[in-house]
This record gives sequence, C-alpha cells and structure tokens, in this order.
Amino acid sequence: MHVRPSTHPTSQAKEAAFSPYEDHGGTNLAIAGPDYCLLASDTRQSNGYNINTRFAPKTFKLSNKSVLATAGCQPDCAMVTTRVKQSMLTYKHNHNKEMSTSAIAQMLSIMLYQRRFFPYYDFNILGGLDEDGKGCVYSYDAVGSYERVPCSAFGSASALIQPFLDNQVRNKNQLGKPKVTEFEPVTPLPLAEALRICKDSFTSATERDIYTGDYLQIFIITREGVEEQIHELKKD
Amino acid sequence: MDARIDLNNIGFDFDLTKRNAGLEANGATAPKATKTGTTIVGLLFKDGLVLGADTRATEGPIVADKNCEKIHYIAPNMYCCGAGTAADTEFTTNMISSQMELHRMSTGRESRVVTAMTLLKQYLFRHQGHISAALVLGGFDVTGPHLYTIYPHGSTDKLPYVTMGSGSLAAMSIFESRWRSDMERQEAIDLVKDAIEAGIFNDLGSGSNVDVCVIEKGKVDYLRNYARPNERAQKEQSYKFPRGTTAVLKTSIRDLVQVTEDTAMDIST
Amino acid sequence: MAPSLKSGEVNLGTTIMAVVYDGGVIIGADSRTTTGSYIANRVTDKLTKIHDRIYCCRSGSAADTQAVADIVHYYTQMYQVQHNAAPTTQVVASLFRELCYSNRNNLMAGIIVAGWDERVGPSVYSIPLGGSIHKQAYAIGGSGSSYIYGYCDANYKDHMNREEAIDFVKKAIALAMSRDGSSGGTIRLAVITEGGVERMFVPGNQLPTFYEG
Repeated sequence: MHVRPSTHPTSQAKEAAFSPYEDHGGTNLAIAGPDYCLLASDTRQSNGYNINTRFAPKTFKLSNKSVLATAGCQPDCAMVTTRVKQSMLTYKHNHNKEMSTSAIAQMLSIMLYQRRFFPYYDFNILGGLDEDGKGCVYSYDAVGSYERVPCSAFGSASALIQPFLDNQVRNKNQLGKPKVTEFEPVTPLPLAEALRICKDSFTSATERDIYTGDYLQIFIITREGVEEQIHELKKD
Repeated sequence: MDARIDLNNIGFDFDLTKRNAGLEANGATAPKATKTGTTIVGLLFKDGLVLGADTRATEGPIVADKNCEKIHYIAPNMYCCGAGTAADTEFTTNMISSQMELHRMSTGRESRVVTAMTLLKQYLFRHQGHISAALVLGGFDVTGPHLYTIYPHGSTDKLPYVTMGSGSLAAMSIFESRWRSDMERQEAIDLVKDAIEAGIFNDLGSGSNVDVCVIEKGKVDYLRNYARPNERAQKEQSYKFPRGTTAVLKTSIRDLVQVTEDTAMDIST
Repeated sequence: MAPSLKSGEVNLGTTIMAVVYDGGVIIGADSRTTTGSYIANRVTDKLTKIHDRIYCCRSGSAADTQAVADIVHYYTQMYQVQHNAAPTTQVVASLFRELCYSNRNNLMAGIIVAGWDERVGPSVYSIPLGGSIHKQAYAIGGSGSSYIYGYCDANYKDHMNREEAIDFVKKAIALAMSRDGSSGGTIRLAVITEGGVERMFVPGNQLPTFYEG
C-alpha cells in the first residue's frame, strides 16, 4: 500500500527522446534575370518562440558566379555548405578551373540524395550565372530533387511569397501583362524591379510570418561578380 | 416568441464531441483556434495599478491580427488582460463582465476585484484547464488596488507585479530588475511599456504595439496603442492592378425581381 | 488512473511541515510555485487559513488545493454559524479527507491540516494523495519532504517548547529547500496557539545554512 505516493517530478515516467532535427526558421528568395541572378534571405535564426540570434547569415557566396541559399536546420545547412565548398576546391585543384553553376547544381543533388534515409534538414536554392551568362536558379527539396526555375521562395514564409512572385514575376493571373512562358528559365524583369519586388516580399512576409525578420541580406550576381547588400527588417 | 430561457440548454454544447472523437480517430484534425502568444503584464504603483499588453494574435506561425485588443473590460473600475486562446479569453471575460454588472444592479455597490477573481477561478477550475485563458486581473475597489494572475487550471496568485503569456519571461526580467514599491504614475507606465516591448522584441509570439491601462481611485485611462514601435516600412512600389487585369470568364445577368404592371388592389377593408 | 499534473498546470513542488509542541502547533512552508522550470511565484503563501485557529499547508496542484481549501473554508463558515461554535481541527481535517478521497482520481492535492481547538488543544493531520488521513505528532509533505525524513526523525522530540519547535521547522524546511529544486524562496511560518495565530517570515538571504560542499 502506498500511504504517500511520491509527488516528486522525477518519479513520474517520462519518455526520453532526442530529435536530430530542429527548424530554425527563415526565408529565402531567388529571381533569375536575363543577365543577373538575385538571392535574398532574412537573417533571423529562431527556435520555437525564441530568437537565437538576429543576424545569422544562411546564404553563402561559393564563387564569382554562384551563391547558395540554405534554410531549415542550421547545423545541416552549415554542413551542406561546407561540403559543397570542399568539393568545389577539390574540383578546382583537379581541373584548374572554377566549377560551373550547373555542375554545382548536379553535385549538390547527388550529395543530398546520398543521405536519402537520414536526410539533411536543409532546403537549398542555388543561384548564379550559367555558361551563357544568363541568370539561373536551381531549387531543391531535402533529398536532392531539383529543377531550374525562373524564381523561387523557400523557408518559413515561402507560402506567403511564392504566390506573390508567381503573380508579379511570372505575370500569372494578370491579363494585359506580357506572357512569361511556362518553361522559360529566366524572367524578363529588369534588375531594379526585381530588387524592389524582393524587398517588398520580405517587408510583407515580416508583417505576417513570425519566423521572418531582423535583417535582409541580398546577393546580386552579375558578370562583374557578386554584390552583397544588407537592409533592415522589423524586429518584433 | 417565448422569451423564457431554457435552463437545459445553456452553457457549452457538447453534442458533437463523440462525433469529433470518431472523426479524429479516422485521421481528421480539429480546427485550430487563434492563439494569442502574448505578453501581458500588470504592476502596482503608488496611487493604483497599470496593466499592459502587446497586440499580436497568431495562428501557428502566421500573424492573424496585427493590432488586436487584449485588455478586456470587466467593470468600470476593473480590467483584465488575456493570454491563451483568443476565443476563450474573450468569452470568459465577457461572461464575467456581465455577471459583475448584474451583481452591481442587485447589490447597488461597486464591484470588488476578489469577486471577479473568485468567479473566474471557479469557472476555469470547473472546466479543468480546457478553457485556455491565462489572465491578469486588475482593479481598484473600496478596499484599494488589487492585482491577480489566474491560470487556465484555476489557480490564482496575488502579487505586486505580474506577467503572463509566452513573453512573460522577457517581461518579468524587466520587472525583477527595475520594479520598486511606491512608483510614480509615469514611472509605472514607462516600466510597463518597457516590459511589453521586451516581450514584443524577444518573444516571437508577441509583437506590434503596446496597449496600456492605468487604473486609479475612481479613474481609468485606457491608452490604446500607447507605443507603436513597429510601423510598417514604406513599400518600394505600387501594386495597383489596372482595370481589366482579372479575366472575365463568363457573364450572366439575371432579373431577381419581376416588375409587372397591374391595377392596385384595395386592402383597406 | 493515478492523478498527474496536466501540461502547463501550476505546481506547488513544495516542502510543507507541521509540528505539535507544548501549547500549540507550528506550521511552515517554502514559497516556490513552478510551471515546468519557471518560478511563477517566489513568495507564495502555502499556509492557508481555514478558520480562526485552523490552517492548512498545501502541496501538489495549485488549482486543486486552492479549490479544495476554498470549499472547506466555506463549509467551516457555515459550521460556525449553524453550531455557534468553532469546528475542531478533526472536523476540518475530515472535510478535507472527504473531498480528497471522493475526488481522488481527479485531484493532485497533498494537504496537512493543523490547528488548535478547545477539545484536544493542538493537533496535526496529514492527508496525502490517496485521500487517507493520519493524525501525527508532526507531519511533512511535498516533493521536498523526501529529503528530510531522516533529519526530522532524528531531531523531533515530544514536548518541545515554542522556540525549539520553530527552530526544528525552520531548519528542516531550509534543508529540504537546499536539496529540492522545486522548493525554495523564503520560509513562511505560523504559530497557532489558544491565544491566536502569529505569522513569521524568513527571507531567502537569512535562511539557516548547513554544509554546502
């Protein structure tokens, strides 16, 4: 008989479980133009209702022609980025030339699929210029399926931004705007307008998505190289 | 119409609970309620008390309302901040408010804060935590200023400074470092504003503006949007669609009323 | 099914205590209330007045123990009016037992009732989780109590005087607070005698200290 069952918290049965995955939030966006590529990410890193840090860049320059944007679980993103960079360096030493963006794209896909049954929790967008100097955007799922698209949004606010891009960049559901054909790999948008749409996408996503905010980091890839800009976003 | 109230048909309707349990067992998910991942606070000062709240309401990761009101009216001398499920805080405070009004009409006396606190805790306890209302209740009655926290399971605390909601830890860090007894009115308002802003900026469930309510003897100041630290930035361009942007797929015009010519009928007899 | 704390429920992970001494009874408690790892109240008063010279010490769920104490408080008020006499500690303890036993599947409440009455003088009753009742010379309860059974058994004496009893309670609770993570803050005490109730308070920076490693 238990006269006094223990009320101590440790006396109650608890399931011990560890999850190797965490979602650290954040949003990425990419637009491929006729002679440029634009990648943008917010820099908030969060966990549940907590902000880990307001400035944790998750988009990285790989070469003068390509930039990788990552979103998901931060350590997985960092691991994937490191491995891509390592392989690019090996490639350079072996072949005495920089990897092309399309080659990086194919390699990244293989890298992700190798971990098919314990995937990296990482949603990538690879942006840059292709062999013809045109902008290119490759978007991936976590296990390596990828395709070349004219524009893409990934991460916590992707559901808010993607329809906006479809409407404003690909002119979907707009009568009287020039048709952007379905399989066109680049958008006809001039860089200045793409930049404006990109900034408005993030200020608007910050209004309604709690995991997006703090700072906006934009990479612009042109024939001249990679330019990086930092803008403020709301911090609530 | 029969104006009498059917006493067998008041309160919550549990008719569909069995059906919903069956649906959920077959893989359906229940609709999600709007949560107010919130920062709410209250503190006592020299002449009364100050309540504060942020104004963000969320549905999962999405901001459902950027400027909602979380400081609810209970009585002319009493207000209540609510965190948890928006519907629960709204309906619970409304119901207690109406009970307090009826109690005033019946007794002819000003409402007391303990009365509201007791009604709230007994109601929440009766529902065993299923009503997600975490409340900060404050008021000034004949026995002076009072400040209570009420948890969803029905426990209460009476303290000189309190915080609740997902931003309560951020807000409490401000209070624990800067609260003093016998503060002046403006000092108290500033401290409440800083506590709410700590929640707004450090807790993702809280955001937007600061609402403040100052309650003193015989006087209430409800300062809606006392601080607005999160104004939206100017948009880069206009997204106005020219007329004709939306495709017209089909046009159909119907007559809803048939007008006919006829001689009027005499209905006077 | 054994009752357990519902998620997000406010817990009195507590140390509570009551001791009979010559002429009265001393009750004591720590002051910590927690939700998970967060201290929701660091100056809680877990010593709740039921009647003029009868108190209860609450441990377990804050909501459950407050609700039970409020109901017993109401019953004793009615008792006073109907009998024109104060209820005995035994009557109050029996009311607590009745509520705790008949609702044992839905309650998480460990309560100690202590008081002074005309019939037997000072007395202490313990009502642990299942709703049983135990009349004791001294009682300890809450999560912190498991750390001080040895100390209490070694140091309790029959017929202590007021000062000895206060010292005993104060030291026991301080020892429990230093070992139990869900007990802490300050010590609240009450001395209940024929003459009335005297409340005492030991701030967190003036607690008795022992070996700290």
